Amino acid sequence: MPTSPLAVVQGTLELLVLKALHAGGEQHGFAVLDFIRRATGDQLVLEEGALYPALHRMERRGWLISDWGVSEKGRRAKYYRLTRAGGKALADEERRWVAYVDAVARITPQPE
Amino acid sequence: MRNGEKDRIRGRSLLPPAPHDAAALEVEHHLAEMADRLVQAGMTLEDARREAERRFGNPGRYRATLESDEKRRRRTMRRTEWWGVISVGVGRAVRSLRRSPGFSAGVVLTLALGIGANAAMFGVLDRLLFQPPAHVVNPDAVRRVMTVGTYTGQPWRQPIGTYPDYLDMKKLGAFEGVAAYSDVQATTMGSGPDATRVQVGLATWGFFPLLGVHAERGRLFAESDDRQGATPTAVVSHEYWRAKMGSDPDVLGRTLELAGHRYTVIGVMPPGFTGVDLKPVDVWLPLVTAGVLKYGDSWLHNRGFYWLNAVARLAPRVDVRAAQEQATAALVNARRADIDKGNYMKDAHVALDPLVAAKGPQASGESKVARWLGGVSLLVLLIACANVANLLLARGTRRRREAAVRLALGVGRARLVTTMVVESVLLALLGGGVALILATWGGGLIRKALLPGVFFPQSAVSPRILVFVLIVAVVAGLLAGVGPALQSTRSDLASDLAMGAGSGSGRRSWTRATLTVVQAALSVVLLVGAGLFVRSVSAVRHENIGLDVSHLVLARIEFETRAMRSSGTKSTLMGIEGATREENQVYEETMERLAGVQGVDAVAGTESPFQWGFASALKVPGLDSIPKLPGGGPYYVDVTPGYFRTVGLKVMRGRAFHASDDAGAERVAVVSDRMARTLWPDEDPLGKCLLVGDTEECTTVVGVVEDANRYGIRESASMTYYMPLAQRKDVPINGVYLRTAGDPGRLAARVAPIVRGLDPRIRYATVAPLQDRINPEARSWTLGATMFTVFGLLALLVAAVGLYGVLAFDVAQRTRELGIRTALGAERARLLRGVVLHGLRMAAVGVLLGLGIAMVAAPYVGDLLFKVSPRDPDVLAGVAVAMLLVALVASVVPGVRATRVDPMVALRTE
Repeated sequence: MPTSPLAVVQGTLELLVLKALHAGGEQHGFAVLDFIRRATGDQLVLEEGALYPALHRMERRGWLISDWGVSEKGRRAKYYRLTRAGGKALADEERRWVAYVDAVARITPQPE
Repeated sequence: MRNGEKDRIRGRSLLPPAPHDAAALEVEHHLAEMADRLVQAGMTLEDARREAERRFGNPGRYRATLESDEKRRRRTMRRTEWWGVISVGVGRAVRSLRRSPGFSAGVVLTLALGIGANAAMFGVLDRLLFQPPAHVVNPDAVRRVMTVGTYTGQPWRQPIGTYPDYLDMKKLGAFEGVAAYSDVQATTMGSGPDATRVQVGLATWGFFPLLGVHAERGRLFAESDDRQGATPTAVVSHEYWRAKMGSDPDVLGRTLELAGHRYTVIGVMPPGFTGVDLKPVDVWLPLVTAGVLKYGDSWLHNRGFYWLNAVARLAPRVDVRAAQEQATAALVNARRADIDKGNYMKDAHVALDPLVAAKGPQASGESKVARWLGGVSLLVLLIACANVANLLLARGTRRRREAAVRLALGVGRARLVTTMVVESVLLALLGGGVALILATWGGGLIRKALLPGVFFPQSAVSPRILVFVLIVAVVAGLLAGVGPALQSTRSDLASDLAMGAGSGSGRRSWTRATLTVVQAALSVVLLVGAGLFVRSVSAVRHENIGLDVSHLVLARIEFETRAMRSSGTKSTLMGIEGATREENQVYEETMERLAGVQGVDAVAGTESPFQWGFASALKVPGLDSIPKLPGGGPYYVDVTPGYFRTVGLKVMRGRAFHASDDAGAERVAVVSDRMARTLWPDEDPLGKCLLVGDTEECTTVVGVVEDANRYGIRESASMTYYMPLAQRKDVPINGVYLRTAGDPGRLAARVAPIVRGLDPRIRYATVAPLQDRINPEARSWTLGATMFTVFGLLALLVAAVGLYGVLAFDVAQRTRELGIRTALGAERARLLRGVVLHGLRMAAVGVLLGLGIAMVAAPYVGDLLFKVSPRDPDVLAGVAVAMLLVALVASVVPGVRATRVDPMVALRTE
């Protein structure tokens, strides 16, 4: 049975978006949302209200660049792509996340 | 659609929407996608839309942040895109340079000539008109004190002139300071064969603090250095110190012997300082100290001794007009008596002119011509731009298919145009680089040859010129590039893709023909200008001023005794009369010696050499009064025997002087033609009596000679009478004329050292061709003639190349047509005629247009010419013929090529 979606842990939103763009290549905001939902088996659902500001924030930092294009459905959409700096940021965030999970795991009971 | 990546249609970038749309569009896209998803899950369209909006929350909340993000994003994107386009343009330029070096070299060189001409002229104009003098602090507040009014019916605008008038100005509250200075005077340094001439400037001690200049070494004058009887001190210019004193570190305390007086060097000026004028100054002397040594002390109180210029610095918050009123009141008050007696201008007032010539009402002939030349060099640049535009158009036509393909592939037109314009700007910048080389070389030449009296402290390439060239190059690149780029990307795509390059549309060749016609017309205008100035120069050269200028050398001796006499010292044993006798003796010896020099055909001495003039009281029995002529006079000239033969004045009636006309003989005179006609219009002048000075003794007229000018080229003949020097008492010889059949310059160079070493009493001798005295006056015409000719020929060359280009291109475009016509049996002569006539027709239209412009512009150049009508028919006709001849030559080559088209090759070209 599907459990109710998890809230995204503070500080991991950017990691998820970077990961999505890394894995899925150039894509628009809705596709990022969709990718994360599908990749986590509907466990993690980003809030739209958080996604777009995050995308723009990261673009400002130079992690992403964007371009306007036409989707297959013929809609005008804004496409985002990872820059080299974005790739590096992703690696850093991943390392931090693994360290974090590891640390949390040490003090929480392991499931049998 | 599994993946966002595949969602996008590749290769299609859209121009981003405006920022406020962008934010909305991004949200809108999201909502649409979400609604699609929900509809797939079974919702109705309306519900899905509402649900999507609900989930998104209030989009307005994000609008603001999204918008500002978008704005920022677009800015950086535009920047990167710009760079992208520019780098593509640069790449194209580099490639096209490599692929068609001939074409690129043509473009670069054409623009280099145009830009170079402008850079060289800019350097000159900048110095003559725009740049304030070096080392002057806040130059706008420093003004030249001029007197303005009407003098003998002529407008008058001259420096204030006299020392007492200057002192009056100094008292005024409107000025923070007033200082006087002299014109630069060539002065003898040292004595005897080793003596040299230096340029000396006299200035009151306050001149330097007023301007704000400080000594580079040592100090400038103090008040105590600048008074009658003070120890003579001097400050040398940086340039003189470096070039002539070997940058001597111990220069302070060295003495300079100037015109017989010893001055102690107390300082060195900073580099480039020439006071407020443009002439170089080697040595500065304190005005009162040196002025008294030179002229005695009468000028300190005499309001008739005009030799000074004055500058004033306005007191803070004093308006120029108020200062002028105050100064005028002071001048009129001091001159009241003179004005009442009619000795001074009734409408006299003081004008405070700015230092920078461009802002002032006064312009020398040279700067007027230079201003014109600035305009002319712009014309050359325009012609160059037209030519480059033409070349680019031709190539654009060839590349039109390429452009059409790229447009079809979705490359934005704006982007395409930008890359093409970047390419042309880059070529123009290269042209600018070459132009700098040309300007360094040409500018130096202009300066040295045509403006020898102007000191250029900077090299021909200064930062100002660099900036100027940069701006001009970019503008020229845009001017030449934008039109062709727009044309070759005009989007009647289908036809261009369908047809080959060989089918230039009529419109375009029309544009190109127009450009060619414009070039021809502008060239004609320049050539007309050149022709007019060349004729002026030759008119000046051939102007009969009486004296046979081109065969004369004038030698003048400066004596050791002179300094003592002029400073009013009476302590010499012989006194003034003795000194004159002694000096005349030296002159006589000199004349004897020079008569024996090879190449000297005749020698004669005179009291008033060229540009000197003496008048004396004169009464003529039988006449109540002597008529006044515009130039003043009558003037008298005392000469030695052989004078008329030497200077080339023909004796029209009677006789010249003989050696026997000496002190013991009857007093005789020879009058000028003008004097004879004025005084005795219907009578024989020979045997008439002149009462010269206050004697009652008749001086009998024994001859009439041709008129001779006294000062220069532009003057009307005045009444002059000549008398034998031997019959006059205590008249000094002031100069000796040498006549030669050869080159006067070479003779002068040979004779000068002989004279200087002849006698220890000779301090220095100036020996120079008489032509040198005329040249400064002729310089504006020489300047105009030289530059107009250079620019005109340049323009003609560029226009010829342009015409050739258009025709050659037309022929290349019509290869197929020409081939078919040849195949169908057209005569070659006919094809040739067709092309040549086409070329001549364009040239003819250009000639007509150019002549029209020249006729309209004529009144504006009239006063710059000398005895040549600005609509001189010979010049106009000559230029028209020259232009058509050049056009003929430029047309024949492509014409011949048209006849050589091989039908088979032509038909195969597609």
